[in-house]
Amino acid sequence: MGVRIGHACALLALVGTAGCYDGLSGQDRSPFGAGDADGGGADGGDGDGGDGGEGPVAGLCGDPQTGPTALRRLTNDQYDRTVADLLGVETNFSTSFAPDERIGAFKSNGAAPVGQLQVEQYMDAAEGLATEAVSDLGALLPCDPTAMGEDACAEMFVREFGLKAYRRPLTDGEVAGVMAVYADGKAEGAFVDGIRIAVQGLLQSPFFLYHIENGIEAGVPGEPVALSGYEMASRLSYFLWNTMPDDELFAAAEAGDLLTTEGIEAQVDRMLADDRSYEAIADFHLQWLGVDHIEALEKNPTAYPDFTPELAAAMRAETAAFSNWVMREGEGSLQTLLTADFTITDDPDLLALYGATLPAGHTPGDPVPLDATQRSGVLTHASLLAEHAHADQTSPVHRGQLIRENFLCQMLPPPPMNVDNVPPDPAPGATTRERFAEHTADPSCAGCHQLIDGLGFAFESYDGIGAFRDLDQGLPVDASGAIFGTDDIDGEIDGALQLAAQLASSRQVSACVAQQWFRFALGRLETDDDQCAFDHMLESFDESDQDMRALVKTIILSDSFRFRRVDELSAAPLDPEEI
Amino acid sequence: MSRKPRFIEHGPRKRLNRNFSRRGFLGSLGAAGALTPFLPMMRGHAGGTEFPVRLILCFSANGTIHENWTPTGTVSDFQLSPILSPLESFKDQLTILDGLEVLRPGPGDGHQKGMALLWTGSQILEGTEFAGGDGSSAGWGGGISVDQHVANTVGAQTAYKSLEFGVQTGGATVWSRMSYAGSNQPIAPEPSPAAMFDRLFADFDIDTSELERIKAERGSVIDLVKGDLQALSPKYGAADQLKIEAHLDAIRQIEQRNDLAVPVCEIPMLDTTLPHDANENFPAVSRLQIDQMVMALACDLTRVASLQWSRSVSGTRFDWIGVPDGHHDLSHLGDGDQSMVDKITAINTWYAGEFAYLLERLASVPEGNGTMLDNTLVVWGNELSRGNSHGNHPVPFVLAGGAGGRIQPGRYLTYDRVPHNRLLVSICHALGLDEQTTFGDIDSGSGGLDGLT
Repeated sequence: MGVRIGHACALLALVGTAGCYDGLSGQDRSPFGAGDADGGGADGGDGDGGDGGEGPVAGLCGDPQTGPTALRRLTNDQYDRTVADLLGVETNFSTSFAPDERIGAFKSNGAAPVGQLQVEQYMDAAEGLATEAVSDLGALLPCDPTAMGEDACAEMFVREFGLKAYRRPLTDGEVAGVMAVYADGKAEGAFVDGIRIAVQGLLQSPFFLYHIENGIEAGVPGEPVALSGYEMASRLSYFLWNTMPDDELFAAAEAGDLLTTEGIEAQVDRMLADDRSYEAIADFHLQWLGVDHIEALEKNPTAYPDFTPELAAAMRAETAAFSNWVMREGEGSLQTLLTADFTITDDPDLLALYGATLPAGHTPGDPVPLDATQRSGVLTHASLLAEHAHADQTSPVHRGQLIRENFLCQMLPPPPMNVDNVPPDPAPGATTRERFAEHTADPSCAGCHQLIDGLGFAFESYDGIGAFRDLDQGLPVDASGAIFGTDDIDGEIDGALQLAAQLASSRQVSACVAQQWFRFALGRLETDDDQCAFDHMLESFDESDQDMRALVKTIILSDSFRFRRVDELSAAPLDPEEI
Repeated sequence: MSRKPRFIEHGPRKRLNRNFSRRGFLGSLGAAGALTPFLPMMRGHAGGTEFPVRLILCFSANGTIHENWTPTGTVSDFQLSPILSPLESFKDQLTILDGLEVLRPGPGDGHQKGMALLWTGSQILEGTEFAGGDGSSAGWGGGISVDQHVANTVGAQTAYKSLEFGVQTGGATVWSRMSYAGSNQPIAPEPSPAAMFDRLFADFDIDTSELERIKAERGSVIDLVKGDLQALSPKYGAADQLKIEAHLDAIRQIEQRNDLAVPVCEIPMLDTTLPHDANENFPAVSRLQIDQMVMALACDLTRVASLQWSRSVSGTRFDWIGVPDGHHDLSHLGDGDQSMVDKITAINTWYAGEFAYLLERLASVPEGNGTMLDNTLVVWGNELSRGNSHGNHPVPFVLAGGAGGRIQPGRYLTYDRVPHNRLLVSICHALGLDEQTTFGDIDSGSGGLDGLT
């Protein structure tokens, strides 16, 4: 199975002579030519094998294939939500944790190990949460310690609570280990202290803090092996809910239902219909669009007096609500996501920014029509336009880069280094566009910047917080731009609506969106070994008219999601004497 | 799981701060006086003669304006530049290094390399960690940083091997991390003064028997966690085993501290409640972090610390000195733009003022016949020479303090494109690691900087 380079070669030719010395990377890192218009022959054999197979020998592409998944810690969001489900204690503890790493656009802690600070933060959180959890002991325990006996009840608690905390049943040895902690606490204090520090311990265990997938089957190093039912339950819940499995998922795992396509499909349908999918769907879109930290955005109050923390929160809520509407109320259509002339918000300040009003008889949460000559899906959301702009002006570069990288899945090389690339001085009184036009006038910058700025200029009709404008610095806005270097949508454009229409019509864009969902689902980048699964995803995404709900299901049923790669074990495991 | 969650607000450590959360508050301007109740506790420290040598690394971003940074004059008779003018009263404590070059082989853009190589002297890893966000395929830094290397030796006897303070340091990216425990092991700084306050001083105000109970409980939990990590490790390959080992190492450090007696040390009085992420609080957070760092050093909670102001590609807006532009955008403007030159000069001058405040706090702690500054080496670096060229030469380095007599300050030393790895070696020497001959993998030379230590 070869790695297809797709259109990257054409781009290299395009930009190589123009000074973008490195060409667009991305395709040489990601095996997927996002376009794949040539088919490349690798589609053969996919056929209608879409049931995903029933085990290690009947995978989608014959033998199952999947890329390796690194050991990952819970993200901070996952930590808070998991704790809320586990203890019934809603917290914002993770706001004090060190920030998450990202895999591409998405939060995933799979590269760097923890340091002492982070482990201390987990300790502090566990101590605070355990104290809170035992403040209502009756709600926490599954038994009456007086009737059953304290130690017997404690053991029942450790088994039942431990299963939820570790997201799999504990072994007898593990139960004994936690019971030893309980016994220490009880000996120093009372029964409640034993339960409290048992909870402390469970919340600091790597089995709680990490996504552990090392399964019941040993497997052959370097080869794929099917996930266990409990591991599938966790992959499903952290993908679709971004929190731990619920009782029904655990029951399905225990019953072996998550080892079959039918069993998985039933859970996916249930989980997408459940309100817990709201936050995960929001997470995907907010992170993909790079607006998940918009609450921290600050603007120059002189340039944008209307911008307040409340407005930023409303922008975030709008993108979350609109994407959820598309996925859960609408048809799941990528087309709608990119081109809708309505949105979901009731916030008066945001509606004012859009120049929109609530229709008569409006029910909160229902679509609100927007000016169809000004707005087009998430691409003209104020969140996106405000986040990808400067504090006091727009940024064609940031907006263009977002489109190039997150919608076209083409990585831009960094600017040249150790060369004199000092930009020309700005001319006073010029529009943003005129000043940034210098990028493409200077040959040393033009190679890359024509790939960025031609996209970014199309957004010049929106100011630095996303309001529509006709004038910039008193001069008429020129929102004409151009798309270069794509498989299927190169050409002149005028304004964000034309750009949006082009993006919505592009197979490269739909393949890129599928790639983004894949990364979000797996918490990792794709590899050569995921190519078969990915080809199948693209094919069925096309067949479904870019229905993202179907895409989600296809990803879940793929080998990449249902299998893990067994590690080549280290020759020198840790020396137990050191521990 | 069907119960409706009850919300508990994250705050200072719930159980541990019963008394001090009130005591800890003083007016927000209380920082300057905060050492006063604290100093008498330290007078008897270490028998009065032997004082530990400490290392502090400082970082500010996006390059400087060299012509406004570099002093004029000779090695021992020099005049400070406009940017370094806030340091005038500490001139005899400074060692200014001009002409050092940060070699930059390997992957990454100028900012990434500058940041990851500044204190490690090692190439960035090839990798895909930052795919999609940054336009390059760099991984994390590829070697241990000099503070951590030093801490592995001099930090063995203190409660914290090292402490990393930050001011609005941003997300977990290669632009935002300067300290590394090893290749691919970035260390997150603590950007919250309140969290750092809790971390450092929470245990000081607890009743002894209560503290003993907490320590016993933590001991039991630590044993459990170590056992789980140990059980997990053999099931993973080498890359993931490193993560498990790092987690184990952190647990062991916590365990070691859990077994130590709490140092005799007065709790400082600081108001750490301000929103530490707000741009306008940047100066106040800087002062709070400096105050706490100096207290932690004076109390010998650690001997190695770092202070990271913002991050590489910093977008801080310095409204308080009349520079509302984003720092990074500003730094990209051309040299012909005098307002850029003036503003970047003003920003770096402001940082020099913060650096001066750090020196002032260090110099306010008497130690023997001198002050703590005499027993400390402070090093201030930047990831670039100049913002608009992303240059790697000359990168501005300012040293301060005497490192317990190992450095003779009050000098202006110039070098001709000498790799800064020589400085990293000299830092090791100044902290007593005399055997060090090389640091990092990016240059083939050996030894420290000529004439420094």
